[in-house]
Amino acid sequence: MNAIELEQIGKVFVPGLSGTPFHALEAINLCIAEGEVVGLLGPNGSGKTTLFKIILGLLAPTAGICRIFGRPGNCPEVRCSVGYLPEAPEFYPYLTGVELVRFFAQLAGLAGAIREKRIAEAIARVGMERASARRVGTYSRGMKQRIGLAQALVTNPRLVILDEPTANLDPEGAADMGELIRGIRARGGTVLLSSHQLAQVEDLCTRVLFLNRGRLAGSGTADEFAQPDCENSFFVESLTEADQAELRVWLARRGARLRTGATPRGRLERAYQTAVRGGRPGEA
Amino acid sequence: MIPLSARMLSTNRLAAIAVNTFRESVRQKFFLLLSLAALALGIIAWWLRECSSGTLQTKFVLDAGFGALTFFGAVVAIVATAESFSGEIERKTVMAVLAKPVGRSEFVLGKLGGILGLLLVFCAAITGFLMVLILWQQMAAGSLPAGASAEVGHRAFVALMACGLVQWLRCSVLAALTLLVATYARSSLLAVTSGFAALVACSLRSLACDALRVTGPGWARGGADILGVLVPDFELYDVADRVASGGVLSPGYLAGITLYSALYVGLFAALAVYCFRHREL
Repeated sequence: MNAIELEQIGKVFVPGLSGTPFHALEAINLCIAEGEVVGLLGPNGSGKTTLFKIILGLLAPTAGICRIFGRPGNCPEVRCSVGYLPEAPEFYPYLTGVELVRFFAQLAGLAGAIREKRIAEAIARVGMERASARRVGTYSRGMKQRIGLAQALVTNPRLVILDEPTANLDPEGAADMGELIRGIRARGGTVLLSSHQLAQVEDLCTRVLFLNRGRLAGSGTADEFAQPDCENSFFVESLTEADQAELRVWLARRGARLRTGATPRGRLERAYQTAVRGGRPGEA
Repeated sequence: MIPLSARMLSTNRLAAIAVNTFRESVRQKFFLLLSLAALALGIIAWWLRECSSGTLQTKFVLDAGFGALTFFGAVVAIVATAESFSGEIERKTVMAVLAKPVGRSEFVLGKLGGILGLLLVFCAAITGFLMVLILWQQMAAGSLPAGASAEVGHRAFVALMACGLVQWLRCSVLAALTLLVATYARSSLLAVTSGFAALVACSLRSLACDALRVTGPGWARGGADILGVLVPDFELYDVADRVASGGVLSPGYLAGITLYSALYVGLFAALAVYCFRHREL
């Protein structure tokens, strides 16, 4: 069964009474099968969060149909199977971590001993056992992301939607978040995430979608992006400094340049640049 | 088309949202500060009661105490509602809440329930504190516990409790009105300022209607009638002076003001649900 099905989804915002309509999304068609980890890439303002809101039933699409596990996206029951972590969440600062997760568990209809067991499991999964009795207002950004993920996972959802889960996290926090997402995938869950960190998307996702100016601008599977883009990249070894200088001059005469770096740029980055910059990779 | 199940209200979810709203609001610093400020005003009035004499001392304390309850209660009603509702939208917490199987009407009504609970605690605490002050004063003056005096004292305390209840009803109407504003306001600041504007409008509603009816042209009289229906009259809740002077509130008045408040709270809550269901987050 498909976890998410979108057919010709469009969203137009009309600011004020006489404002110019803004087409946030246009004719989005998308199917995400259960068990997939899909990364949604796109520049700021490309419509990623709007798409997530439509999938979650928080926004009504202007056009098209959205189905979650075969049922309409705005059906409340279907949201029992969905966990959502908003971008840079600021949860209730005066609640403790465990109170926060309990609140979301109550909203999802969990009760009694099962609820308390799920709360403990979710907090343990995100490694927040020691800080769960502290107020959320005292948490670092990384801890807020973790407790946010705990509230999203407390119902053991079949579909998890993560809006920029590694935004504002330090490299260690981002790596931890990556491990948590791998854990969801290992349990058979479906993940749809947005991110600006191409390397992480490449590492975590089975499929990548590019969104640009409200339209799907391309897609690819993990296998297609697994190999580095070597068509126009070369490693040169054991070259003396004098030879390097001579090579630079030779390349410059032909309009090329020698670039230093640990690895050549990946195919994903090249595909992303092509999708969002209209085929002009590398342009600032 | 909203599915039928989305329209149904779950008491469990309503209770969860109300309890969470109450718990979050009661722990906020502004609530603690306003409560302390109201209590401090009562204590100051108690210290300054010597400026008056005899029964006027009690009136002085009650006037100041209920004045503090009315003013700080209104501030709590407006700020707590705006912070709890608009603040949640600004912080995007509402996204995570509504991503669970929660209807928007449940969210609005749960929030209102939590705020009404907060206001009940606030009004009960201040009224209870005033009762303790009055009891202390009467004991110090030696007017208790004699048979007849005890009867009078009992009636006075019932009147105080009734007055506290009336102030809670007034704050509840104001909170519901602020909630309605918050469902379409784009920021907490706008919700707060609109809430205070609504407070002024409701407080001056009687005067404005009377002025329009007496001095205005024909169409203005019609406008005054419409204004009289749409805007609740907060002068109806001004009973503190009567209670402070030793008067009591009749059961008929209490039933009437409760019904009046319930109608306005219900109307504003229904409009808030309608506005929020059509709002794009």
